[in-house]
Amino acid sequence: VAKTSLTSPPWPEVKLPDPVEEAKYHAEVVQKVNQLIAEGHYGRLFAVVHFASKQWKVTSEDLIMMDNALEAECGDRIRMEKVLLVGADDFTLIGRPILGKDLVRVEATVIEKTESWPKINMRFWRRHNYQRKKIIVTPQTVLRINSIEIFPCLS
Amino acid sequence: MVLLSAPRWLRSRLTDRFWRVQEVLKYARHFRGRKNRCYKLAVGSVRRAFVRSTKARREKKRFLRALWITRIEAASLEHGLKYPAFISNLLKSQVELNRKVIADLAIYEPKTFKSLAALAQRRRQEGFLAALGDGKEPEGIFSRMVRHY
Repeated sequence: VAKTSLTSPPWPEVKLPDPVEEAKYHAEVVQKVNQLIAEGHYGRLFAVVHFASKQWKVTSEDLIMMDNALEAECGDRIRMEKVLLVGADDFTLIGRPILGKDLVRVEATVIEKTESWPKINMRFWRRHNYQRKKIIVTPQTVLRINSIEIFPCLS
Repeated sequence: MVLLSAPRWLRSRLTDRFWRVQEVLKYARHFRGRKNRCYKLAVGSVRRAFVRSTKARREKKRFLRALWITRIEAASLEHGLKYPAFISNLLKSQVELNRKVIADLAIYEPKTFKSLAALAQRRRQEGFLAALGDGKEPEGIFSRMVRHY
């Protein structure tokens, strides 16, 4: 039969690779990554952590400042549990949505608990003799991320 | 003897006018022109500056989100995916990274962004296959053209 413009659909044909071979390939990759982690062949690790209702891209020895007060005292060590992504130079571990607690460990210390600079909230309507000025001072906390560790428990 | 009204030589005079004026001028010192020196001109400018900064604090969030979206779009186009396809397929694969973090990864961790783009592309193709189904016609239809004679 001759080929017309309607013989094949206008979208490109999509073919997925063979599931059996894919499963083998996946198992191989997982085993290689496990080996890399177990031997420690990675440099600096970065992680994406969900903390204080915000997501932060974090490495070791960096500072984080949040616009709220934590219940921990200065000098307390904190373990951040909701880790969304961990990566190194050769591999990344993407969580759906978070990674397991037995896989990653992100430790941080509370360094400083201060107040923010006085922010001014002002409302003014012209010709209506209406102005309100409010000074807002919010508490702030500074954390230092001490370390990010990963353990070879992939499967 | 108790004096019930104050004598005329006792006046209450304003002694800290300088500091009241400085309170306003200190916020105007980096302005341009006479507004940074003259109190009368500075009062209005400082008031408008405060109101504008209050409104800008709300707009900053919208502006930054648009910036992140532009950056993610540019980065995903480099990998052959459009922004809506990228974001929707990432969400369908249960990866809940927000736009700020994805934009940071696109700038500082290009390999990780490439793997996220590949994940989104694969999920997109699986979605197409699931939508197309078997490629057979549904049962109960016996012919396309019914001729009435």
